[in-house]
Amino acid sequence: MGLLTNLVDHLKAIGTGLKYLIPRRLTLMYPEYVEKLPEGYRGYLRYDNEKCIHCSLCARICPANAIKMYRGGDKKLRPGINYTRCIFCGFCADICPTGALEYTTIQDIAYEKLEDQVYPPEKFAKGVPQPVYPEKPIFIIAKVDEERGLKYDRV
Amino acid sequence: MSEEGYMLLQIGPQHPGSGHMRMLVKLDGDVIVDFIPDVGYVHRTVEKIAETKLYIQNIPLLEKPILNDSGNANLAYIIAVEKLLDVEPPPRAQYLRTIMAELSRIASHLYGIGILSILIGSSTGFMWAFGDREIFIHLMQMMSGARITYSYMVPGGVRRDLPDQFREEFRKAARYMRRRYKDYEKIIIKNPVTRARLEGVGVLSREKAIEWGTVGPNLRASGVAYDVRKVEPYAAYEDIDFEIAVREEGDCYARLLVRFQEIMESLKIIEQALEKIPNGKILAEKYEKMIQPRAKKLVEGTGRIKFPAIYVNLKPPKGEVFSRVESGKGEITVYLVSNGSPKPYRLRFVTPSFRNLLTFKNLIPGHRLADFPAIYGSLDYFPPGADR
Amino acid sequence: MYDLINYLWETGLNLLFSPEIFEPLVFPGLIAAFSLLIVVIWLERKIAAIIQMRYGPYYISRHTEGALQLVADLLRFLFSEVIIPKSVDKIAYVLAPIILFAFTFLPIVVIPVSKDFAAIDHEYSLLIALALMTLYSSFLLIVSWASNNKFSFIGGLREGFLSLSYEIPLIISALSAAVLFDSFNLIEIVEKQAAMGWGIFYNPLAAIVFLVVIIYSTSRYPYEIAEAESEIVIGPFTEYTGILFGLGMGISYIKLYSMSLLYAVLFLGGWEPVVWPLNLHPVLPGIILFIKAFIIVAFSVFLRAVYPRYRIDQALRIAWWKLFTLAFLSLLFSYGIKIIEVMG
Ligand code: SF4
Ligand code: SF4
Repeated sequence: MGLLTNLVDHLKAIGTGLKYLIPRRLTLMYPEYVEKLPEGYRGYLRYDNEKCIHCSLCARICPANAIKMYRGGDKKLRPGINYTRCIFCGFCADICPTGALEYTTIQDIAYEKLEDQVYPPEKFAKGVPQPVYPEKPIFIIAKVDEERGLKYDRV
Repeated sequence: MSEEGYMLLQIGPQHPGSGHMRMLVKLDGDVIVDFIPDVGYVHRTVEKIAETKLYIQNIPLLEKPILNDSGNANLAYIIAVEKLLDVEPPPRAQYLRTIMAELSRIASHLYGIGILSILIGSSTGFMWAFGDREIFIHLMQMMSGARITYSYMVPGGVRRDLPDQFREEFRKAARYMRRRYKDYEKIIIKNPVTRARLEGVGVLSREKAIEWGTVGPNLRASGVAYDVRKVEPYAAYEDIDFEIAVREEGDCYARLLVRFQEIMESLKIIEQALEKIPNGKILAEKYEKMIQPRAKKLVEGTGRIKFPAIYVNLKPPKGEVFSRVESGKGEITVYLVSNGSPKPYRLRFVTPSFRNLLTFKNLIPGHRLADFPAIYGSLDYFPPGADR
Repeated sequence: MYDLINYLWETGLNLLFSPEIFEPLVFPGLIAAFSLLIVVIWLERKIAAIIQMRYGPYYISRHTEGALQLVADLLRFLFSEVIIPKSVDKIAYVLAPIILFAFTFLPIVVIPVSKDFAAIDHEYSLLIALALMTLYSSFLLIVSWASNNKFSFIGGLREGFLSLSYEIPLIISALSAAVLFDSFNLIEIVEKQAAMGWGIFYNPLAAIVFLVVIIYSTSRYPYEIAEAESEIVIGPFTEYTGILFGLGMGISYIKLYSMSLLYAVLFLGGWEPVVWPLNLHPVLPGIILFIKAFIIVAFSVFLRAVYPRYRIDQALRIAWWKLFTLAFLSLLFSYGIKIIEVMG
């Protein structure tokens, strides 16, 4: 009896292996395909110089000391960010009372030099760095799927 | 540890089966006679750093050691802080926390199952578990906006409400996972080779489990129905009807089965929570009031909240509190002392892997070398968690 | 002048197509084995990847699903530095894997390609092939000993234990095929099968035992015990780098190939059926033989995605209890069939 169930279990295991020989891949082939992240994803930060009221809350809450306040020519404090330290917790954007700091859905930026990742206020205000892909990627949205786990729809 | 006749084997930290950990194994032929897990390779002084940071800044910090179950680590700390601050999150936030904690538990269990599978040689179990974990990470990303470090819970509530499509997405994920479970069953759980490797190996008796202070699924696999979610319900667990997965055997196989059972139970818990979840605010009234109206306007309709400025200056009254939650790997306890300043005076963070260390150490001797990875994996021991 | 070239060409061609040269060099020897090696390792990774819902090798040659991955790997092995650690026994360390690799090829030469095409057409060619197969483990032991590394040493010991236990069922199950067909000559065995039907139908028990032994002895899952990554890094080859490591990686596949060829000859009717256009040249039936062997090889590597690995004591118990008993039963079974034949 034990032997027989054992044999059946062996066959079932091999059968399951065979069943999965029909390709149904979960992998997202980055960077040919790039996920378009949903609104609210905590990625790189956007800083709007106009809206900033120089309250320094962002620098005070930052758990990684990534944000530092710089005193500008007009004696006002403005935040600059060091992305080597940032852990993308999004606290700074959540506490910023004016929406001067906001998170974007951009996350895949590569730098050549560490220094490039430091953004003083002027550079920070210029906008979010854009990712560079070897070729023009196909953007997709990931969705849960009953059959395949995750499926990737083109946008 | 180097007498004649024995072989001293140093496994790790640079070994395919060790993880971030150094372990010394003394072998007599193929049988392990002595075992020393040398913890501390990835020690990061989390407790000391916590004393230098604001209460709110410690949220991401405490997630880092238990990275694959960060939802629960987050919850343990927040409960402690809330006790100190004496705030009560609104019911909806409690339910959202429960959902987050359970998703995190599923992800953690899948991680553990994956590691156990690869340690006994089943690459399919490893890849499947890690692949399916991606689905729950996707769900948690929908909720929190980050893939691994959610930092979802803040003192007084949670940072975001449920996104609109979450229910639908979760329903599909639950269906998918239940269907997949049948395949897991065939290729891993009931695979005769898995059973040969795990059954009767690393047997942890009920008495020893209690004596050694084992926690989590490892404890429940030894026949002790102890679960903090039941013993001291937190978040919304009081209103939710669920069972504790218990098995009597106490071997590696029982631990694997308990993990799978808990995944299935977690799916049910989330389903219930989604059904019962009340409408309302997601942040405590006390803090809600403090958010500037113009800031509130910015996030209107997004389901997100803005932090009140008081978050950078949380000064709990003097006192000490203790909190615990049942995480995927076991009980996380946080002991927090405040001296009235904006930074904790002392934070003690006891992780489940640290508490399972003694079990790990005592369970190994007497087994064969090949059982070592099996037991290691079955305990779901996570070195960064133990080292903190 | 033209005649001379023509003459050289023809003798050259004849020489190449003489069994003594063609077998070791082209098929089923070096060239066939190498192409199989390249295909099979890719296939193994691809099968595992598909079952595990991944892509596997892909970027090396996108249009062929990464089929050239192994060529790239081989190039990398060739050009990466061979580091010889200070603590090793240098001569043995360098020579053992090379000799091992060469020896793993030897059994292939004995295997006939078709009725009229065999490098060694000997009365006892089955026994020669089996004997050559058992050389493998002794050199693996040298590899592991020369490395002077604890993980290598444990791996070598495990291999030693395993080989002691799989050789007996291997030989007995092969013998039951010999008993069944009344011959030790591989060509005769195939000829008999052409007349009677395949060995696998006559003695399925022996066929199953032999198949398990193939998986067992070539370190395929669930018997990938001597290399067990999570326990002893990569077993005997832990200290190796560069092309020497590459050789180590290929050895078990070559062994798998040679055993699968033998399996095809013993149980799957060898190169039969020889139909048109395969009867045009004595080499051509080899294609059938190759396909049969390839199916066995593909099945063995497919198991990687199905099983974890056994513990060494469990594997030994399986060999000594189950495989040994079954092999013995299969031998009796073959005798039984013979007796019925004689009586009938
Ligand atoms: S996202 Fe977090 S770590 Fe990064 S700058 Fe903002 S507060 Fe600091
Ligand atoms: S919190 Fe916002 S408004 Fe205040 S300093 Fe930072 S960016 Fe400026």
